[in-house]
Amino acid sequence: MAEETTKLICCKCNKELEMIKTDFSYLGHTFFTELPRCPGCGNVYISEELVKSRISEVEMQLEDK
Amino acid sequence: MVENCMQNERAFCTSECPFHLDIRDLITKIQQGRFNIAYKTYQNTVGFPGIVSALCHEPCIPVCPMKDAGGAISLKMLEKAAIQFARSREPDQYNMPPKAARIAIIGAGISGLACALRLSTKKYDVTVFEKSSRIGGHLLDLPDNEIFLADIELQFKHEKFSLILDSEITDLNLIGFDAIYIATGKDGNDFGLAQNMTGSWATAQPGIFIGGSILRAGTMTAIADGLQVSTAIEVYLKIGKMGNGDEQPEGTRLKPETIRKTTSTAIHAADGVSYTKEEAIAEAKRCLKCCCDNCVHFSPLMNYFSKFPRRITEEVEISIHPSSLDGHATLATRLLSTCNHCGLCKEVCPADIDVGEFILQSHRAMHEAGKMPWAFHEFYLRDMEFSNSEAALAMLPEGFSKARYMFFPGCQLGASYPDYVTKSYEFLKSINSDTAIMLQCCGAPADWAGDETIHSEVIEGIRHKWLDMGKPTAIFACPMCSQMFQKYLPEIERKFLYGFLEESAMNAASQFVQQTASVFDPCASRHEPDLQQTIRNLVLSAGFNLEPLPMEKNMAECCTFGGQVAIAHPPFAEFNVEKRIRQNNYPYITYCANCRDIFVKAGKPVWHILDILYGLNRENKALPDVSQRRENRLLAKKTLLHQYWNKEFTMNLPEKLLIISPELREKLNKDMILESDLYQVTEYCEQSGNKLLEQDSGLFTGHLQIGNMTYWVAYRILDDGRRELVRGYCHRMKIEEK
Repeated sequence: MAEETTKLICCKCNKELEMIKTDFSYLGHTFFTELPRCPGCGNVYISEELVKSRISEVEMQLEDK
Repeated sequence: MVENCMQNERAFCTSECPFHLDIRDLITKIQQGRFNIAYKTYQNTVGFPGIVSALCHEPCIPVCPMKDAGGAISLKMLEKAAIQFARSREPDQYNMPPKAARIAIIGAGISGLACALRLSTKKYDVTVFEKSSRIGGHLLDLPDNEIFLADIELQFKHEKFSLILDSEITDLNLIGFDAIYIATGKDGNDFGLAQNMTGSWATAQPGIFIGGSILRAGTMTAIADGLQVSTAIEVYLKIGKMGNGDEQPEGTRLKPETIRKTTSTAIHAADGVSYTKEEAIAEAKRCLKCCCDNCVHFSPLMNYFSKFPRRITEEVEISIHPSSLDGHATLATRLLSTCNHCGLCKEVCPADIDVGEFILQSHRAMHEAGKMPWAFHEFYLRDMEFSNSEAALAMLPEGFSKARYMFFPGCQLGASYPDYVTKSYEFLKSINSDTAIMLQCCGAPADWAGDETIHSEVIEGIRHKWLDMGKPTAIFACPMCSQMFQKYLPEIERKFLYGFLEESAMNAASQFVQQTASVFDPCASRHEPDLQQTIRNLVLSAGFNLEPLPMEKNMAECCTFGGQVAIAHPPFAEFNVEKRIRQNNYPYITYCANCRDIFVKAGKPVWHILDILYGLNRENKALPDVSQRRENRLLAKKTLLHQYWNKEFTMNLPEKLLIISPELREKLNKDMILESDLYQVTEYCEQSGNKLLEQDSGLFTGHLQIGNMTYWVAYRILDDGRRELVRGYCHRMKIEEK
């Protein structure tokens, strides 16, 4: 999944987000990818662009699997 | 379910053909100009193409549905064209080892020769005994018999068999063969044997078969018998069984009324003798290739996927009982989630096959196994939950301890416009003061989702409330709610609002005089002819001219709301909405809020019948979005409670605190995202502090899983403390954050 360009700060930990492995699950399938996350609390960021492109493609593939 | 499916039933012509020639297949090849392969098909089926094409008495002509639509297809001419334009008429040569079994054929007439041809092609040791000094039997008595003899010679070109002429067999026991075919012709010697009616031209004596002109008249049947006896002999030689070899049931179950005819003029050969290639192709293209395909033609689902019931049941079965190694493959999920549950497939099936019911049951099985993607149904299950909690209302009229009637408008009518509900209740109360109200969902979303637990809770809830009201007759505005009650609450008597409106002779505004419109019957009205007529009466008395739609009444099609398939399969929904609204250019009048809203959204001028009767002009009003559809339901409840029970109801709409631009609102509506959900996400972000700052824009962003869906927001806090929503989106994948 593509890296985000906007600089993101976790409001809780006041730390800049870093690319960290993130687990996903859908319809009994699990997988992971690197996404911007807070190195402190783990709060994740997923952009709308990513949701509308790759994420929705994968969702559809899993629904048809 | 599909054992009675007629998909593979013989065409009428094939059924009458003594050879059961697969005419759909032959015609397809000629249509494509593939004369050589068409000839092979013909040759392989009839044995002697030259003889059969010359002498066939064309039993296909009287049964061809085209006979009264421009003229029956001239198969004989097409068969001749296949012969004429074939690249090679030579029979195929098979290099197979000889077989030891010895077969005697008594009679070298065309039936015996047909049997000999097949068996010698398969390299059996065949001996033909003929009492006369020539082969061909009765064919030799016909004019032009040299053509027939030439065809016999051609077809036997690569095959060898022993021919013993001038040899009259008088006792079958003397010749000592493994199998015998008695084909002695008309008035020939039957050796005291007759056809044993177990089939396949078997006699009562093992290994001895009888057929051809000795049994029945006709050159074609004689050849066909000989060809089929060859198969029966093979079966006997292999497994020792007499009869029931290869014969197929006679006739066809195909129904002439299911064949959709298009009139076309029969093609005549310009030279008066035989077709040119172009003429043959043109005539072949007139053929309807009769088959039972009503379901694939009419059912939106089967039409879209081009799949017959048999294929659908197979795919659904392997989805319910996955055969993949990991046990997770559910190949037909999208397909079975695309069913509108409109019932048209069963309506058009001459065998009454109910694919819709099968798919509904498969939804239950998929749900039970946890294989149904939750995303396909969650929006409407939550919508139903909202209708049955915050927006629900079940009230007896003031001053009554029981009611004679109960108005059940359905959740989507009030969602469209609250005044549909309030004005209808006002009308019903004015004619019967003991009319109760029940605002809630009928349970259709749970039924379609295959969630039997939730569905039965909804049904039981309705039943309890209905009992508490003193078992009133339910009055529906929505045919779908009525259908759900009929199926799951059959003890409740049902009536429609529109019948009361007709009886009260409510006169609609005269502005519609001389306007032409078409009634779009909702699919759930399919078996409600009285309701359909009531609507037409109301429309006519409002002054309209009525133009019937091609698909109406019992052939009504779903607007695509059924099954809520637009979430599971957006392209299917878009395709079919376009198809529905393009039936003609007149405005539609319907009596289902979903049909109305879906078509209006697609740009079609549509009235709900209540718009006409109550004089409601919606022309310049935008359709309510997904959030407003909830708000409208609350508004209907609030209005009714205030007006009839003098009770105040506070609508809980915290999302109103969010500032949302019209553009974003439109986008959220398209993505079916509720403002209330996004408000909840901002609230979570603010309360928990789990939010991120986009440094460039100064926006806060965060997410929250509500139900199974994960919602995202980007917002800014304005100086007055209010939140301005800048983005809102959602995804189905779950982030495993723990």
